[in-house]
Amino acid sequence: MLLLAVRHLHIYFRSKAIVKNIEFTIRQGEWFTLIGESGSGKSITAFAIGGLLPKEMSIAAGQILFDNKDITYLSNKEFQKLRGKEISYVFQDYQSSFTPFMKIGKQMDEMIQAHCSLTKKERREIAFQALEDVQLPAKRVYDSYPFQLSGGQLQRASIAMAIMLNPKLLIADEPTTALDSITAAHVLEVIANIKEKINCAVLFITHDLRQAKKYSNTIAVMKQGEIVETGTKESIIHRPCHPYTKLLLSAVPTINRFSSSTELDLILK
Amino acid sequence: MKIIKQTNWMQSRTFPLVLFVSYLLAIVAASLFTPHDPLEINMNDRLLEPSMEHLFGTDHLGRDLFSRILTGGQVTVGTGLLVLIIVLLIGVPLGMLSGFIGGRFDRYFMRIIDAFLAFPDFILAIVLSGILGPGMLNLILAIVVAKWGSYARLVRSTVLSEKEKDYVLMAVVNGLSTFQIIRKHLLPHVVGNVFVLATLDLGKIILMIASLSYIGLGAQPPTPEWGAMLNEGKPFFHSSPHLMVIPGIAIMCTVLISNVVGDILRDRFDVKG
Repeated sequence: MLLLAVRHLHIYFRSKAIVKNIEFTIRQGEWFTLIGESGSGKSITAFAIGGLLPKEMSIAAGQILFDNKDITYLSNKEFQKLRGKEISYVFQDYQSSFTPFMKIGKQMDEMIQAHCSLTKKERREIAFQALEDVQLPAKRVYDSYPFQLSGGQLQRASIAMAIMLNPKLLIADEPTTALDSITAAHVLEVIANIKEKINCAVLFITHDLRQAKKYSNTIAVMKQGEIVETGTKESIIHRPCHPYTKLLLSAVPTINRFSSSTELDLILK
Repeated sequence: MKIIKQTNWMQSRTFPLVLFVSYLLAIVAASLFTPHDPLEINMNDRLLEPSMEHLFGTDHLGRDLFSRILTGGQVTVGTGLLVLIIVLLIGVPLGMLSGFIGGRFDRYFMRIIDAFLAFPDFILAIVLSGILGPGMLNLILAIVVAKWGSYARLVRSTVLSEKEKDYVLMAVVNGLSTFQIIRKHLLPHVVGNVFVLATLDLGKIILMIASLSYIGLGAQPPTPEWGAMLNEGKPFFHSSPHLMVIPGIAIMCTVLISNVVGDILRDRFDVKG
């Protein structure tokens, strides 16, 4: 079933087009990866879906359908109901995704309160469950301040917060960029597990093809505000059509690439 | 962590604050324990020297100076606190709003504040209370108008830098309302700075109230106000200097304490500038 459909989306910054004629669809439970270089408009597209575009930017044309509803021009109040409950976000910068002087638990509690009317005990249970889902020691993290957790823990806590209310769409905007590669792999695995558990769709944004390869169902390649190629993971990786996709694929460093000693020597020099 | 807390409790942020607030409360509460009626005129006991019966002596109408100082403390310091509270209630929300909304509203709002802050606050207060006429209410109004701008500006600048941070975006993304974000995620950032500025300012405000009352614009006789008492004692300075010296010392002590505590708090809260 179709969950999200973006049709002919144009986004302008003042009079300059920064996203041009973007079109893609995400099915329920699908892992959709948007890949592209910095400044190619990936994050802006993600922001537009949640109605989070900065004041200077606007949707000039096109349509965003979420769950068979047109959400392109919802009011702020209607978006407020959607965000966190139906569509939730995980960002790159885990250090500042929690308010520094509030305990993690308090912030999770506040978010549940904003969307559902539950008793204190029920809210606590939901938060604990979410923290356990991301493999964190629930009780300790719940009573911790953000600065008491490590980077990977914080990012997982922000994932816990994002999936707490079983959203239909999780938008992960380069969630692993600021993490080292081992922690990053762990965080990705956590997202994949949760996706299976609550059966949400994931819109995964990255510029790293290695991460796109592992879990994606569908990959869309973005360049300078346009999607140049969309396809299943297999077709993109094994049969890239667009020259830019080929370029991206060849940029992935592999161990094999350095197998010839001359090349290694060149790099070491 | 606990040990550090215990040994350094005098160096904590709250200690000087608690001490200061209790000092202010003591001043305000002391007026309940006046040994004589501060307004009772007794022409037989005019201009008495300090004695056991009249600790600070009596003034030119035979009123007990000690009782008048205590009651005057309530008037002067109490009014100062009232002014400060009104200023905070106006300045802080307006500053937050201006910083959070930003854009054109913020630009116009800041020009208005610039206009208020362009005049030295003392002169602005004197001019305003001169226009409005003498009286405590007008005095309060005049000082509030002269003072609110600096708080709005301080709060606005803090909010302006904080609202760009990702945790505010995160709060928006999580579906919290604007009011909630301002109150729970931004307000605590401002509290420290505002406390420091308010403590330093209280001395200035008390000095302002006393000065304006001294030149006859504030408290009217027979209200015992420290500044007004200075003025009343002026003709008798040669024969009975205590009529001016004692209210003067009272004003000095309060202003000095406010400044010292404000300085300490500024260091502890690490406020720049």
